[in-house]
Amino acid sequence: MPTEKTPPDAGSLHHERGHDAYSHRHDHDPVEEGAALRVRALEELMVAKGLVDPEALDSVVEYYERQTGPRNGAAVVARAWTDPTFKEWLLEDGTAAIHSMGFKGYQGEHMRVVENTAGVHNVIVCTLCSCYPWTVLGLPPAWYKGSAYRSRVVREPRSVLREFGLELAPDIRVQVWDSTAELRYMVLPQRPAGTGKLSAAELALLVTRDGMIGTALL
Amino acid sequence: MDGIHDLGGMHGFGAVAIGEDDYVFRHEWQRRSFGLAQALAGTTPFCADMHRHKIELIRPVDYLTMDYFEKWMIATSELLKDAGLVNESELRTGRKEFDVDLARHPPARPDALVEAMKRGAELKFGDEVAAPGFVVGEAVRVRCDAPAGHTRVPRYVRGRLGQVVADHGVFQFADTVARGEGASPQHCYAVAFTADALWGGDAESASDLLYLDLAEAYLDRV
Repeated sequence: MPTEKTPPDAGSLHHERGHDAYSHRHDHDPVEEGAALRVRALEELMVAKGLVDPEALDSVVEYYERQTGPRNGAAVVARAWTDPTFKEWLLEDGTAAIHSMGFKGYQGEHMRVVENTAGVHNVIVCTLCSCYPWTVLGLPPAWYKGSAYRSRVVREPRSVLREFGLELAPDIRVQVWDSTAELRYMVLPQRPAGTGKLSAAELALLVTRDGMIGTALL
Repeated sequence: MDGIHDLGGMHGFGAVAIGEDDYVFRHEWQRRSFGLAQALAGTTPFCADMHRHKIELIRPVDYLTMDYFEKWMIATSELLKDAGLVNESELRTGRKEFDVDLARHPPARPDALVEAMKRGAELKFGDEVAAPGFVVGEAVRVRCDAPAGHTRVPRYVRGRLGQVVADHGVFQFADTVARGEGASPQHCYAVAFTADALWGGDAESASDLLYLDLAEAYLDRV
């Protein structure tokens, strides 16, 4: 059976990492402090046992915070808006088209892109946990993982979208994609009117994370 | 399992905290919890479905009140305990009581960990591995099975009628993967349900559609 992740090879690390991030916290929510203490205990235990290289933690967090994120998805969307052949490929085989742009990896191994049109509005969710296309959108915002969004968007998508500021006409069909297996979803938003002269790079700046979740129009 | 994690379609959770909850990490410990899960996944080893199931096993009252990354930390800790790499007392104090075999559990190094994330997981098999039981366009009914373990059928589609709209090919099967019983490769289908089929007279708009990706084993021919 394939493994989720290949055990990493031995590598090297040379720079020191400070553990002082915790000491600068100024909030005093007891729940948060309890969790913070337990996470710190777990990390210190893992480091003491040699099971975790703290710099590896820094690297993976930094990778998701700084090197991936919605700008990846925005580049995909902008290219689809400006290149009809790419758009056709993207909608036909989202995995191959997105991987061809280098946006490949964990929680993005298999992708499907769903297109918003004048008559169809798509929105993505994961009701069972919080599956999300990390490779193109980064890590999900807290509300996407929360009980309200997950419980409601499948039953009353129009009401939820109204809370996000989208008022969808009754004749627009809403399509909700609940990510229950290994595919991850991304919405291809409609290109805003009056952007005919913009380059793909300029268009990408108009594309928002929520636009690609389906909780915003552009 | 029929747990609190299976939130789809439940009433009572109020408005989405759109502005307040528009963040990925709010505290440093959330970053560390996320990073720990990633760094330990190859080392322990565990996979996403195992981690998800440990989160599902958190008491419902805690599931609803704990921070997302606190749940991640608990799931990671439970998997480490199952693997015999930590004990309860160590987790409580953060102090090591016994050594582990690092030859069998080598720590992830920074570059290799990021490379593993960029590579992703192997989740799919060749089409020749399993024959499809359904074809696109076919009507299907989701089975009524109610397993106590990890499964990827939300309750809100159980027993409901839908239509196969795409065959995604052959994938690993979350139920057996989460139990450590292997991949049980089988076809996975996109199945469309009308809002009317799921919510009846309470649907906001009867012809709105819900799409779920469902494994062969979850479906029956109508």
